[in-house]
Amino acid sequence: MEIIDRLSAGDPEKRCYYINLFLEVLEPELKRMQADDILTGANQELLRQILHKLKSQVQTIGEHETHQSMNALELKISKGQRAEAYDLSPIIEQLTVLIRNLQQQLE
Amino acid sequence: MSKNLKIALVDDDKPNMEVLHDFLVRSGYHHIEKYYNGEDFLKSLHLHDDRAVVLDYHLSESGGMNGLEVLEKIKHASPNTHVIFYSGQDSLDIAVESLKCGADDYIVKSAAGVVLLKTAMDKVYQIQVLKSKEKRSQILSWAFVALWILTILAFTIFR
Repeated sequence: MEIIDRLSAGDPEKRCYYINLFLEVLEPELKRMQADDILTGANQELLRQILHKLKSQVQTIGEHETHQSMNALELKISKGQRAEAYDLSPIIEQLTVLIRNLQQQLE
Repeated sequence: MSKNLKIALVDDDKPNMEVLHDFLVRSGYHHIEKYYNGEDFLKSLHLHDDRAVVLDYHLSESGGMNGLEVLEKIKHASPNTHVIFYSGQDSLDIAVESLKCGADDYIVKSAAGVVLLKTAMDKVYQIQVLKSKEKRSQILSWAFVALWILTILAFTIFR
């Protein structure tokens, strides 16, 4: 959140604006990630695209661990290996926590 | 201090684009244009384009051009335009390829990347300032030579 803190410079309205910018993308993408065809591993390319889209956002927010998990899974799919449900569940968990934290900061 | 450098941000990632835009504005760069795909940016490109371009590698999931293809077109149309890659693709191969194709720098998207990009912009700005100083001093020397020739001519004619 360092970059958001730096940009908002103590202004709570600005802080909410930046948090909302990220939430607008993170929330729908998390839902897409939880869809049946992703969880069953039927749509690997879509999963790779979602991971690619989200990884730079979580990295900008400063969630390095989530970024690393996403990057590793994206790389795995890019190499033609199959992403399994057990690969995805920790990422979904980390994202859910991140979104909850961001939402709490809006309150 | 306001810095007179025009910047074009080309990225389909809205939150990162907004963060980058606001950070650069806070750093004194006020002439910033935003493009959400490579095609729209290329339509605005012209010969001797003096904008510094910040380019994402992975521009579109829907089959649009990627950053390297956009870079090649930029360098073909306006070879002196400064291009800095700002990408979520943490790949050494792509970074090397982009530098080979004429990019000035390759920065991976992150919180630290935003600051690095601002530093890269400062470098481009310094280069532009030096170039315009050089151009101004060249114009001044030509004006001095012209004045000197005119003085000699006037002296010869009116003597």
